[in-house]
Amino acid sequence: MLKDITLGQYYPVKSPLHKLDPRVKILLVFAFIILLFFVQNFVGYAVFALFTGIVIKLSRVPMKFMLKGLKPLFFIMIFTAVLNLFMVQGEHVMFRIWKLTATYEGLRTAVFMILRLVFLIMGTSLLTLTTTPLALTDGIESLLRPFRKIGLPAHELAMMMSIAIRFIPTLLEETNKIMQAQAARGSDFETGSLIKRAKALIPILIPLFVSAFRRADELAVAMECRCYNGGENRTRMRELKMHANDAVASVIVAALIGTIIFTNLFPLFSQFAL
Amino acid sequence: MIEIKNLSFHYDSEEEILKEDVLRDVSLTIPDGEFVAVLGHNGCGKSTLAKHLNAILTPSDGSVIIDGMDTKEENLLLKIRQTVGMVFQNPDNQIVATIVEDDVAFAPENLGVPPKEIRERVDWALKSVGMYEFRDKAPHTLSGGQKQRVAIAGVLAMLPKYIVLDEPTAMLDPFGRQEVMRTIQTLNREYHMTVILITHYMDEAAKAQRVIVMDHGNVVKDAGPREVFSDVEGIRALGLDVPQATELMYELKKAGIPVRSDILDTDECIEALLKAI
Repeated sequence: MLKDITLGQYYPVKSPLHKLDPRVKILLVFAFIILLFFVQNFVGYAVFALFTGIVIKLSRVPMKFMLKGLKPLFFIMIFTAVLNLFMVQGEHVMFRIWKLTATYEGLRTAVFMILRLVFLIMGTSLLTLTTTPLALTDGIESLLRPFRKIGLPAHELAMMMSIAIRFIPTLLEETNKIMQAQAARGSDFETGSLIKRAKALIPILIPLFVSAFRRADELAVAMECRCYNGGENRTRMRELKMHANDAVASVIVAALIGTIIFTNLFPLFSQFAL
Repeated sequence: MIEIKNLSFHYDSEEEILKEDVLRDVSLTIPDGEFVAVLGHNGCGKSTLAKHLNAILTPSDGSVIIDGMDTKEENLLLKIRQTVGMVFQNPDNQIVATIVEDDVAFAPENLGVPPKEIRERVDWALKSVGMYEFRDKAPHTLSGGQKQRVAIAGVLAMLPKYIVLDEPTAMLDPFGRQEVMRTIQTLNREYHMTVILITHYMDEAAKAQRVIVMDHGNVVKDAGPREVFSDVEGIRALGLDVPQATELMYELKKAGIPVRSDILDTDECIEALLKAI
């Protein structure tokens, strides 16, 4: 149960994608996601598939690993597809079951929806798989810095994120320890009704929370002892620097944006859109 | 030099029981370069004393002066905390970052040190605790002793003059304890750092130049380890033990065998036994 948490999962290989500046990567993924919602026909999706395929190849993350990330969302994808298939109104009726009508327009929307979700997940997982949690938080902090003027605590948010990531393994270990201690005293987490199992979790959660608060307190003192006093006048050992390859990546994504706009405008291509 | 003058401390609380003095009229002077061990059973005030040394707590009465800086002055806070580094019991709760070298960089980053110098300090600090090869590992993959050494490196990167360790080995296995003790001794001998080690392991205290024993918020003994531990009865009366070697010699002497009673470690013990034979 606890092993499946993939938050901040990072795939440690060396690739051109791993080397990109996290700020650039975050912005490009944002552009990628927004662009996804402007794709209107199959040619556009083909371009997207080609692009994503090449980027995955470049990232040197195995395809199997990418597909594993899709698995948890399989149900949602099927659900949206079925919903779209029957709910979208259209003229070209495919078949009827009971009171539900499936149309070709519905099928088209359903397929588009699935494709959209697949690319959405692949794009975001590529970001987390090729960026260390630390670089990611540094990137977010740096990108949010301009919003400090309107009172957004950029440094504090990034610090909270990185501490949360730092403590995931520690708290997992602790949870396992508590579970074993409770199991040793005859606690049963696996059988019984849902309510019964949920109740069995209470004796795990309470000690876990108590210990988390104690840890937080000790960590705060330890941070103060190491002269932590917020983000003011703070320097960083690793400075984020942009390189030529960041510019190249930006140009490539700009080209993708151009291609998608082109496929949307050109009437020839729109004919492929059922 | 650390000067503690008539330091008394109690927590500000509504409840009467908590208002009792945790420290009572403590006066101590710790010269530069010394290795001091502070002993005492639980609740004797030794951790509270430690927290006064870098202004985590400030005196209710009296004063603590670090290199001429009074800990009560708030604008000296950062300078004091940078001068007196502090290491705690649980290494897990002092490591901030997800990668060893980034954690060591945390303090100099807070102090606004330029990036190039941070890099130098981090490398130096990790090398001096023998953790340089682990610089790009995640802390949770390290053993307890290794994590505690990383925590020490994290403090060293501030370039402190004094380092206070509050039971740094209490949560470690025997091997981890040895690693950490060796590191602490290196800091004192080779880097001439003033070390204040709070512990309840007698054999660790025996390695110090000076042992301070506390009881109920008072300093009851303050002398070299030989002198402190040779008073076996007195130490036991305070609810503490003496190092095993010292205890053996004490018992032998009591049984009428002529041996020295101011023995601290196994080597000395063997030597004394050979002489007695």
